[in-house]
Amino acid sequence: MEEFLKKMAKILDVETVAATDDLKSFQTWDSLTVLSIIAMLDADYGVNFKAADFNQVNTIGELWALVKTKKNK
Amino acid sequence: MKFIFRNKRIAGTLIVLPSNERSFVEEMKNFNFPEARSLKLKEVMGYNKRRLVEPGVCVSDLAIFGLKTLFEREMLKAEEIDALLLVTHTPDYLAPPTSNVIQGKLGLKHDTFCLDISQACAGFVIGLIEAFMLLEQESVRKVVLINADVLSRKVSPKDRNISPLIGDAAAITLVERDTSESVIHASIKMDGTRCEALMIPAGGMRLPCSPETSVLEDAGDNNLRAKDHLFMDGTAIFNFVQVEVPPLIEDLMAWAGISQNAIDYFVFHQPNRFMLQKLADKMQIPYAKMPSNVVENFGNSSGATIPVAIALNLANQVQNGDLQVCLAGFGGGLTWAAMLMRLGRLAFCEMIDYP
Repeated sequence: MEEFLKKMAKILDVETVAATDDLKSFQTWDSLTVLSIIAMLDADYGVNFKAADFNQVNTIGELWALVKTKKNK
Repeated sequence: MKFIFRNKRIAGTLIVLPSNERSFVEEMKNFNFPEARSLKLKEVMGYNKRRLVEPGVCVSDLAIFGLKTLFEREMLKAEEIDALLLVTHTPDYLAPPTSNVIQGKLGLKHDTFCLDISQACAGFVIGLIEAFMLLEQESVRKVVLINADVLSRKVSPKDRNISPLIGDAAAITLVERDTSESVIHASIKMDGTRCEALMIPAGGMRLPCSPETSVLEDAGDNNLRAKDHLFMDGTAIFNFVQVEVPPLIEDLMAWAGISQNAIDYFVFHQPNRFMLQKLADKMQIPYAKMPSNVVENFGNSSGATIPVAIALNLANQVQNGDLQVCLAGFGGGLTWAAMLMRLGRLAFCEMIDYP
């Protein structure tokens, strides 16, 4: 999870992020950020995300939970 | 679906680029996004310059300009052309075929097989497959394959999703029989269930162009486009490429008995630098073996990008030497295709400006 938070902070262009942070609250939240996250999840975690998957998660912690669910499938 | 062809080759390729150049920095004021985010997009995707036709310029204009250049330079004789294949999504008319229009304007012989193929990003590999099939016929000795699109005319300038990456170009490739023993392997797959990921909704019979289809609408992501415009679901296309392309190529290499190390260059369709580098990472291909610089120089011209990448990066090597290449195209349809072939002894491989 710590590693994931670091990667998310880098993509969102901030110093640090917390699991409770709302994804859409970031200034850098746009289609480019979504694509960058999808690419990171594919390359580093081997999971395939669609843009629509982001509709069912609000916080970074919820996103991480969905990554783990997809990975265990 | 797999194909094998023997004793066929690419004899040369000529790229026609509109001389009109635009820069991303100039254009980004059209987008409804903070400047810093657009600059971030530029950095990540590798956007910089692109080439666009002037208003009113059509695919046949670019193609005829290129073919006349080849005739003038005596690289090709008009009477030698037995087949004229045009791969495009932006024909001059709904009817007749633009390939017939080109044939007529150039006064080519009646014994010319003209065919328009409605394919885009995978269109170079598809065009080569068609050309090789035609060359199996006794009567066909030389095929001219034209990959040309003027997609800039079908893109909303207020759509940051796609506008900054699109460029216009025509690639004219001469395909002929090879006297030396050569084997070409190809593989192609299609999935029409995902066709809406990359489409121009209006303009055909299903939804003819009308005042309503030309109205710009916010799709909910700050991008404005009309139904007359090309739409791309960027993340869906990204996923499609990362998931489908590597296994297609791995399977093709195994079938052909050619290892990844034996391939000198992976010349792929050029959607943008980001997508190509992610593909290279996934397939563990060194960046030096996979050109990704077409979009930053000229924009993504759909089916023409593979020959553009060859002319931009490998012109000297394919004219004076001989390379083992893996070509791959992927996109609209959805269609994904790859080809393993030798590329060398090209009589011409260059880029010219139109007009």
